[in-house]
Amino acid sequence: MFTLNVSGIGKHYGGALLFKDVSFQLNQGDVFAIVGWNGSGKSTLLRIIAGLVRPSAGQIEMFCNGETIPKDSRRQFIGMVAPALSLYDELTGLENMEFFCRVRGVACNRNSCLEIIDGVGLAEHATKICGDYSSGMKQRLKLAQALLHKPPLLLLDEPGCNLDSKGIKVVEGIISKQRQLGVTVIASNEKREADYADKAINLSE
Amino acid sequence: MHQTKNGRQTTQTRPSTYLNEAVAIWLRDLRSEFRTRYALNAILMFAVTTLIAVSFSIGSFRIEEAERPFLYAVLLWIILTFSALSGLARSFVKEEEAGTMDILKLSARPQAVFLGKLLFNLTLLGAVELIIVPSFILLMAYQINFPGFFIAMIISGGIGLAAGTTIIAAMISRASARGALFSALSFPLLLPLMITAIKGCERAAVGIGTAGWPEVKMAVAYVIVMVIMSLFLFPLVWEE
Amino acid sequence: MIVRALLTTWMAVIIIAAFLYAEAAQGFPGETSRILFFHVPQAWIATLAFLISMIASVLYLAKRNVKADYIAQSAAELGFLFCVLATVTGSIFAKATWGSFWNWDPRQTSIVILLMIYGAYFALRSAVPDTERKRVFAAAYSILAFAAVPFLVFVVPRITSSLHPENTMNPASPGMDPKTLKVFLGSLFAYTGLFVWMLRLKIRILTLEGWRVRDLFR
Repeated sequence: MFTLNVSGIGKHYGGALLFKDVSFQLNQGDVFAIVGWNGSGKSTLLRIIAGLVRPSAGQIEMFCNGETIPKDSRRQFIGMVAPALSLYDELTGLENMEFFCRVRGVACNRNSCLEIIDGVGLAEHATKICGDYSSGMKQRLKLAQALLHKPPLLLLDEPGCNLDSKGIKVVEGIISKQRQLGVTVIASNEKREADYADKAINLSE
Repeated sequence: MHQTKNGRQTTQTRPSTYLNEAVAIWLRDLRSEFRTRYALNAILMFAVTTLIAVSFSIGSFRIEEAERPFLYAVLLWIILTFSALSGLARSFVKEEEAGTMDILKLSARPQAVFLGKLLFNLTLLGAVELIIVPSFILLMAYQINFPGFFIAMIISGGIGLAAGTTIIAAMISRASARGALFSALSFPLLLPLMITAIKGCERAAVGIGTAGWPEVKMAVAYVIVMVIMSLFLFPLVWEE
Repeated sequence: MIVRALLTTWMAVIIIAAFLYAEAAQGFPGETSRILFFHVPQAWIATLAFLISMIASVLYLAKRNVKADYIAQSAAELGFLFCVLATVTGSIFAKATWGSFWNWDPRQTSIVILLMIYGAYFALRSAVPDTERKRVFAAAYSILAFAAVPFLVFVVPRITSSLHPENTMNPASPGMDPKTLKVFLGSLFAYTGLFVWMLRLKIRILTLEGWRVRDLFR
């Protein structure tokens, strides 16, 4: 049972305020959307939740089965997909996955990685160099990478970016599966993606 | 489902140590390097060019016998230090430029990242030393009377170069004017190591006063201090 | 106001005393020993400032208290200033006494290395755009530089022999006559007072600038 608690988050960059007083609480099974105009700080908010950016005010708390998760341990509970988060272009899809398995300390072997790659529809391309992937294929691999360790918290920044209709189905499948595993937070401009969510927050207000 | 114990998951994972993860990062860096030769080319190019320039202009005869042990040590360590400064920042800068820095932050523990990158820098420097040092000795006709001590000095000094600069490389990866900043920041830290290494190589060449291997011990002490401090400071530098 | 007036008066007294009250030390050409009333305290303050900056850096990393970073930054700036002064006065003394401005003796080498560390510290601060990271990196660097210092202390003296007048001018040894000692200690006191006053001023400026940003959230 996973819980995410965002309270009073604010962020300013070099004297200019981005947003403030953002608060919400999410429980197991919730799908949440962050919407707003370009530049309203959707990606930044997601990055703050992921721990990549320090907020100027407020705090993020995470709980698993009632126990608080300290900041240093959060990385195994979070999976993230974002346009700015790239994978290694000189490695093949499979090598990328194996690397992330090993670095996260997740038990892995070729077959389990291949399974996940197959799950996002990249089976025939698994042994090709990522630099040769199309942008849609890269996006699918990013999704695969985020699911490796079965994280309770899934952060998706424009998950449908660069994807064809089959790819979008994959994303929908992931989101519905994630309802059993934990929480999903989607940041997006697209109405279709925002509609996956039960609750939303608009940063432009 | 997920349980935490000492910061690592205990379900669905095998117990993972910093070392396993560091080695994973190290091997991945090596693999990328093998395919692109991004860093090795830079360092080797610098080292070889400098070596040729030195050898060509000074040759093996222009410096008198008596001065050679010291001056050759100085030249060798200038080549090695500045080669290091030209290339050891690459592993972090590359991550930043390719946009993979964030995903590494999300997946790996900071201490593992530091150790992995340190191992990579050590490998890089080791490769350079393996090529440059024998070439230098041959081209300059460097006479070494105590080779064991000399080799120990080269190895410990090389490890020191990597140990002193890896955390700095992480700091400058996102800054402006990276190359110059990396050199400016690293140089004061490397200076004691450089001086020690030069003295050590001089003694090894001369062959006297090497009892107790003082300079090697000093270099090892330097490595230990730098690595421990870096392990403490790196998580703060790495995370927001 | 009072502090400023007191400091000014005290410093003026010291300067006069350095030239008129104390006697030129034996064994030095002409009046050259007088510069040491200024040079030694400057070098001392430069080192003290470095130490303060390092301690403030540790405090900042431990508590993320912004005031600690203000102290670190201010102490570093002042330390740099006094370091430059010490280098310049030292070179003047070197020229007058030993004939050349620069000899790379261990003391001169150490002060140059301190200058390099300060320079690198400021270069780092100005090259990192994000405020929080800038503070963390600067603090980390200051600690690393401090860790390298013991090695320098060991290593540098072995390279060249010292020309520095250790024994004759060292206040701890009985070689200094009472008048000289008085002026010297007075000068040390004056410089320390000057340093502390300037430090507090700088910290106040940084604090006020910091409040401007914080008010965004009110």
